[in-house]
Amino acid sequence: MDAVLSGLSQGFGIALQPFNLFLVLAGCFFGTLVGALPGIGPINGVAILLPIAYGLGFPPESALILLAGIYYGAEYGGRISSILLNVPGDASAVMTTLDGNPMARNGEAGKALSLSAVASFIGGTLAVILMSLFGPLLASYAVTFSPSDYVALMVFAFASLASLVGKNPIKTLLGALIGLMLATIGIDANTGVIRFTFGVPDLLAGIDFLVIVIGLFGMAELITLVEKQAAGTLVALKVDKSFVTLRDITKCGWTIFRSSFIGFFIGILPGTGASVASAVAYGTEKRISDKDGTFGKGDPRGLAAPESANNAAAGGAMVPMLTLGIPGSGTTAILLGALLLFNVTPGPLMFEQRPEIAWGLIASMYIGNAALLIINLPLVGLFARMLTIPQQYLTPMIAVLAFIGVFSVVSNPHDLYMIVLLGVLGWFLRKLEFSLAPVILGFVLGGLFEDNLRRALSISAGDWSILISSTDSIVFYTLAVLAVVVPLVLGRRKKA
Amino acid sequence: MADRILAGIVLLIAIGYSFIAFTIIKAPFQYDPLGPESWPRILGVLCALCALQILWRPDVNTLGINKSTWLRLAALVVMLLGYAWGFQPAGFVISTFVFCVALSFMLGAKPLPAIAFGAVTGVAGYLVATGLLELNLPAGLLEFLE
Repeated sequence: MDAVLSGLSQGFGIALQPFNLFLVLAGCFFGTLVGALPGIGPINGVAILLPIAYGLGFPPESALILLAGIYYGAEYGGRISSILLNVPGDASAVMTTLDGNPMARNGEAGKALSLSAVASFIGGTLAVILMSLFGPLLASYAVTFSPSDYVALMVFAFASLASLVGKNPIKTLLGALIGLMLATIGIDANTGVIRFTFGVPDLLAGIDFLVIVIGLFGMAELITLVEKQAAGTLVALKVDKSFVTLRDITKCGWTIFRSSFIGFFIGILPGTGASVASAVAYGTEKRISDKDGTFGKGDPRGLAAPESANNAAAGGAMVPMLTLGIPGSGTTAILLGALLLFNVTPGPLMFEQRPEIAWGLIASMYIGNAALLIINLPLVGLFARMLTIPQQYLTPMIAVLAFIGVFSVVSNPHDLYMIVLLGVLGWFLRKLEFSLAPVILGFVLGGLFEDNLRRALSISAGDWSILISSTDSIVFYTLAVLAVVVPLVLGRRKKA
Repeated sequence: MADRILAGIVLLIAIGYSFIAFTIIKAPFQYDPLGPESWPRILGVLCALCALQILWRPDVNTLGINKSTWLRLAALVVMLLGYAWGFQPAGFVISTFVFCVALSFMLGAKPLPAIAFGAVTGVAGYLVATGLLELNLPAGLLEFLE
């Protein structure tokens, strides 16, 4: 407990520095702005803004504070297009449309927006509190992990990813494999052997992470926007004067509380992010509270549940990233990649070796959540205006931002072609119902996965049984099997 | 069908990748039991197996895109490639102007607003990015103004 308090006070010391405070606010503001854009979810928002944030040349903790602000800001802003437009920005916002949009149709748009802001705030804040309590514990436990335990942990991460994300587990696995394979390109750090570069000198250091992220997410999103252009114009509902009352909040109190816990713990599971969390929270709440069949017709609890869950999951997903170096979602995989760009390797030692980053980030999330609530309640009208930006201007802007980002960081015109081609690839994969989060997760974890496997086998002089030699690793493999089997069994029972 | 085509391409890539992993990649002497070649071998084989499974049981048949959408997407990709091609030689302001006018026009903007939009994005984008954010952007043909 003392460690937590002293860590927090150190963290607040960093997060409250005027410059960092400004970055938290800026990140939250721009995040909400980008999140409110119709069809652009947090992962694409972070992807598009990442190179620019990196190019600004801030110290790592400041850049991470900014990026994390954008991340949960976008998670916050996503609800605006879900509620007013019935267009979810990403999978995690789908559940928000179910009751949020009907509320707005019933003339309670203002109430829906303010209630969801409060629910998001509570979910996000509870998650940060749990994170400050459990994060350091988990980190101090994970310090004892051997390379073979890490291998088991990563098998678990990919197993839960494959079974929970997307419709077809084989496609998710294939996506992760593509990411892992992309990560093998370049010089092998252990032996200096060159792999898969085909004599291209630019590839010696591997494919640039920023190029992959911007291409697969930002550019693919742009192509999707143009593809859907003809699908009719969207009409946004107006923000009215209705507002959330204390009674509404107390009525949803238990819902928010339950959903926040569900969200946080699902968020922690490696590989599963806000989309699974909000779906589970909505389903649970429907089972517990939907006595009069009001869910789906504008029940405030049906809105509060997914909103508090997905913000709690956004916080939960940070826990494995900071403590184990294993991201809990696609977006945190991008944040992890961003840390690696700064030569900071997240993992159990980060709380001891780089406390300014770990605790600075956590403290900034307390501030960010409060700031989001404060800027979102009065400014919701302004953010809602983002919905009325005509697509024909919005779409080119995304390309311009992506180009600025890639060029200013990499300064290599070839990479501009590369992001266009990756964008086309990413779009194809999306059309074929591959989700892209596994690809980026595979790419980010590839090096770590291989290193630990090789280190483990070096320790055992080539004996593969070392992989199942510790209790921790056996626990992880068991969890991995459960992650694959349980949804299968549940799915079969539902069908029967 | 669409699924099968992609799976076929992935399968070919996986075979090529595995071929390289099994034949070409070799460390001059053994540093660790696995060496640089084992991990790519595992990945390549798994990837080929996944691709085979999708070839066997595809689940997406068509992309559900009509001809005019294909044309629009093709035009978009051409514009993006053109933007990438002109970005450095022509400079940010000019290439962005041309790209924004062309794309917003294609997406249904009227000519005058499209031109105004392109001009504002190019000039304001350049000033904000280079001046305020201190990012590096090519000045290109407009270098003489600096």
